[in-house]
Amino acid sequence: MQTVAKLIDTTLCIGCKACEVACQQWNDQEYTLGVFQNTYQTMPDLAPNFWNLIKFNEAEINGAQSWLMAKYQCMHCADAGCIKACPSPGAIVQLGNGIVDFNRDNCIGCGYCITGCPFDVPRLSPKTKKVYKCSLCSDRVAVGLEPACIKTCPTSCLTFGSRTDLKFLAEKRAEELKADGFTQAGVYDGPGVGGTNVIYVLKHADQPETYGLPKDPHIPWTVSLWKGPLKWLGNAVFLGGILTAVLHFVKFGPKEEHHRG
Amino acid sequence: MDSRLERFTVPERVTHWLVAICYVYAGLSGLALWSRAMWWLAPVMGGGENLRGWHPIAGVIFALLLAMQFRRWAAQMKLDADDRKWLAMSGRYAMHDEHGVPESGRFNAGQKMLFWLQSTSAIVLFATGAVLWFPEVMPRGLRLISILVHPLAAVASMGGIIVHIYMTTVVVQGALHAMTRGYVTEGWAKSHHAKWFRQVTRQ
Repeated sequence: MQTVAKLIDTTLCIGCKACEVACQQWNDQEYTLGVFQNTYQTMPDLAPNFWNLIKFNEAEINGAQSWLMAKYQCMHCADAGCIKACPSPGAIVQLGNGIVDFNRDNCIGCGYCITGCPFDVPRLSPKTKKVYKCSLCSDRVAVGLEPACIKTCPTSCLTFGSRTDLKFLAEKRAEELKADGFTQAGVYDGPGVGGTNVIYVLKHADQPETYGLPKDPHIPWTVSLWKGPLKWLGNAVFLGGILTAVLHFVKFGPKEEHHRG
Repeated sequence: MDSRLERFTVPERVTHWLVAICYVYAGLSGLALWSRAMWWLAPVMGGGENLRGWHPIAGVIFALLLAMQFRRWAAQMKLDADDRKWLAMSGRYAMHDEHGVPESGRFNAGQKMLFWLQSTSAIVLFATGAVLWFPEVMPRGLRLISILVHPLAAVASMGGIIVHIYMTTVVVQGALHAMTRGYVTEGWAKSHHAKWFRQVTRQ
């Protein structure tokens, strides 16, 4: 099965928020009143019932005021930190097409995935005690449709397709932008997490933070340490402890009462 | 018949066993959360969703009871010069060759070390556990530290508990009885806690 991906060409985003509405509608989300924070942004942050947010970032780049709109949602990492941190088998699954999706029957609401995610995307619902995030419309993709956000985008900022094709398109677009004078233009697709299945084209790829994206996303080292060396330390302590006790018993046995002279 | 000595009072025994029950639940449910290889424990501990709710509650009750136990025993757990010598010779104690190993008071140096290990790890487990309990409100930096330090403290604590259970159920016959029924024989006291024996039989 080929890996699917979503391409976000931020240079074509006009901030219309149609993708937010489509996401809310298709996923049948409960309506929450937006919060006004002197910006056009619908919500300050992602929420359990809000999986797709256009961030309206204002930044001063090379002395010029820039308005950098960027859609923010689950990045569907190849090496997914949420899956690594999740204790419950099958609660978060990576589908054959690369989509990272929740199987909420198995989710226990511990929130470890929130800590494991390098992009800070999953959100715990206080009401259902389960975690929610973008599923890349796995239900639509499974029947050959494109995700709702992509279906609705009016400017072709969003494209859906095979990851290989979209990576090629993204590189081509970045070259165009460079030719247009945006010398720092480039592709953002998280090589540190094995590549993300959400690919960005950024005018200022040298400063992804200005778009609200982490500079060099990796699975947090504490999570890797916990799921790697610490596990072996634990095995050594538990099994070693029990084994030592058995050997001690066989060799020395219990203490006998003695009376010192 | 050997006369009996009271080793642990009723409040001491009740607290110890309540601590133990909470420890076993928090420990086994914690093992399920720690590694997917241990996830088979989850259905035994009430199922994933219940376990996620009960593990921290068991932890809080454990911490409160342990605090009571700490108040009761902390003064008796201070290490003296004999204890330090005992620790240096603990290898001989383990091999039942106790010539030259200093006599022990009410608690021997190994028990004292266990007490401090459990008290320290409990504080760490409580602090990091509080962070992991509420991932939606706790700062990310604290969560990243806690997700590593919480299991690390648990491994240290459980390592100590393995030794504790082995020592008290197998090696030192009568120790378990002392914690369940509360008393020991004079011979037992003389043999394992000679200094304590002289203390309680002097008056």
